[in-house]
Amino acid sequence: MDTRGGKGMITFVQLLVIGISVGFIYGLIAVGFVLIYKSSQIFNFAQGEMVMFGAFLMWSFLVPLGITPALAIILVLAIVGLAGYGLERFPLRPMIGQPILATIMITMGIGVFLRGLALLLWSSNIGIKFPAIITEKTVSIFNVPISNVTIGIFSFGLILVILLSLFFNYSRTGLHMRAAAESHQLAQSMGIRVTQAIAQSWAIAAIVATVGGFLLGYVRGIDFGLTEIGLIAVAAALVGGLESFKGAIFGGLIIGVAQTFTGGYVGYGLKEVIPFIIMVFVLIFKPYGLFGLVKIERV
Amino acid sequence: MRRVSGVFDTSYIQDMTIFRTKYYSAGMVILILFFLILPVFGSEFWLTFINSTAVTVIALQGLNILTGYCGQISIGHTAFMAVGAYSSTILAAQFELPFWLCLPCGGLGAGLAGILFGLPSLRVKGYYLALTTIAAQYLIIYMIKTPFPEITGGAIALNVPEVNLGSFVLSTETHFYYFILIMLAVMTFFAKSLMRSHFGRAFVAIRDNDIASEAMGINLYKGKLLAFFIGCFYAGIAGSIWADYVRVISPDDFTLTSSIWQIGMLIIGGLGSTLGPFFGAIFIGALRETCVICGPWVTSIIPQLGAQISASLVEMTFGIAVILFLVFEPRGIGHRWEILKESYRLWPFSY
Repeated sequence: MDTRGGKGMITFVQLLVIGISVGFIYGLIAVGFVLIYKSSQIFNFAQGEMVMFGAFLMWSFLVPLGITPALAIILVLAIVGLAGYGLERFPLRPMIGQPILATIMITMGIGVFLRGLALLLWSSNIGIKFPAIITEKTVSIFNVPISNVTIGIFSFGLILVILLSLFFNYSRTGLHMRAAAESHQLAQSMGIRVTQAIAQSWAIAAIVATVGGFLLGYVRGIDFGLTEIGLIAVAAALVGGLESFKGAIFGGLIIGVAQTFTGGYVGYGLKEVIPFIIMVFVLIFKPYGLFGLVKIERV
Repeated sequence: MRRVSGVFDTSYIQDMTIFRTKYYSAGMVILILFFLILPVFGSEFWLTFINSTAVTVIALQGLNILTGYCGQISIGHTAFMAVGAYSSTILAAQFELPFWLCLPCGGLGAGLAGILFGLPSLRVKGYYLALTTIAAQYLIIYMIKTPFPEITGGAIALNVPEVNLGSFVLSTETHFYYFILIMLAVMTFFAKSLMRSHFGRAFVAIRDNDIASEAMGINLYKGKLLAFFIGCFYAGIAGSIWADYVRVISPDDFTLTSSIWQIGMLIIGGLGSTLGPFFGAIFIGALRETCVICGPWVTSIIPQLGAQISASLVEMTFGIAVILFLVFEPRGIGHRWEILKESYRLWPFSY
């Protein structure tokens, strides 16, 4: 009786830790999403495809091309950063000021295109994994067995989030992007190139998505199912409020923990949809999220 | 709306007539005759193409009413098709209701589900509403897959009983061709008439600015929920017909991807016109068939590209087509068609 209670506690803590580490990755991807929304008021529905594409690209640099991990990571991040930068020029710049449906569909079009391209390049690579960078072993923290990969992802995610927030709070480029997010007109009149700021936010979002894809692919293998993460990240961003980075991380943690708990205690089917159930509740009861700005519309 | 030179509308009835001149009527009669005798010389391939395209057009008409006219973005339209398909199939299989009752019941079920997921539209709009409909997509498919597998067949396929009107059994491609075409004509006529009515004009006002339209005395709640009901009713009817046509349905037929495809078709065809869904469905259908045909040909030239070449070509061309249309012709093929008609009417004077 006593031991069973103890085991239940251990499972609980284990699930919590896994949930937090997965939630961090969701939060990270949600940050990329929030970034684009803040700088250009566009919902990037291609985020999931960018995650999937980045993971596949990273894999093909690491395994078939056999480049050393450090160089491969730098190369891939440079490539996706440039691609994200280029995306702003076409097709996103003509979308400024267009109706919402057009901006939704343009990102979805990009997403469908990326998925088609990935299907063309990697459809025969089924069940692939990243090569092990650290050897997996279980460490015991307060009597709770936790894999060191989980700890690694957790700390890596934490470092990235800290770096991103430092970037947005102190670097010149980051401040420009935040200014562009606040108001395009005001930023422009202060001498900031808004189109460049938007392009930079797309580049960073693409890099963040690729890193997220790498981390997530390291945990669960690389497949086309990684695209699902995009919408989960949307849910995370929505829970946190769309204008807030810390909200995105927080929302990611909530969604990640909720997912691992429903997966551990209820079942796989509900685990798939719990982000959307949370999303509907947030939309109905608190549509602007936990940290978001409430918009008041006048005619 | 411009008329041909010499034709003047002297009453509102004339203004709202669908076939205003005798050329329109004659063209329509020729078109109907053409489609009536098509099965005589058309091959099985063309009939299958027309049938599946026509079912898509019925669903798209609903999406057009909801998104094109009323401005409520829905990215979960195929989920409502699934509601229609499953409810009509379950009614036919478990309760053995006759077909003519199952079909409207499927539409009704989807319409009610649409109202349920349209409720957040009273509080949120734009992106937030689009997210609600994405959530609807996942939740509805989850409801079909998991909680009641003994009724819905779970994640595996569900067989649909065959359709019989009295003693007549719809079985061949040709039977379905006539049935689907009649349904398409009825549903299109209803959509067109709805848009000429006071509800249709209210929808357009809500799309253009919901707060202003409320100030002008339009009941927003009623209007938005009615648009959701009608749009999803169309989806339900289309899903129900689709189930009867393919005879086997599974939750995997109704994915978010196909919902995105439907929105893409609508954008390519042209939002907010009754002809738009036709153009979009035909354009994308033709694009898809071309890619499927071209796939093996490309593989024979570049064999390294793998087995899924057709699928990837379909997705890539669709993505590119949607992007190009949004950037260069956001009003779709329907708008081009209007321009063409206009210049034909004014020819040779391009004033």
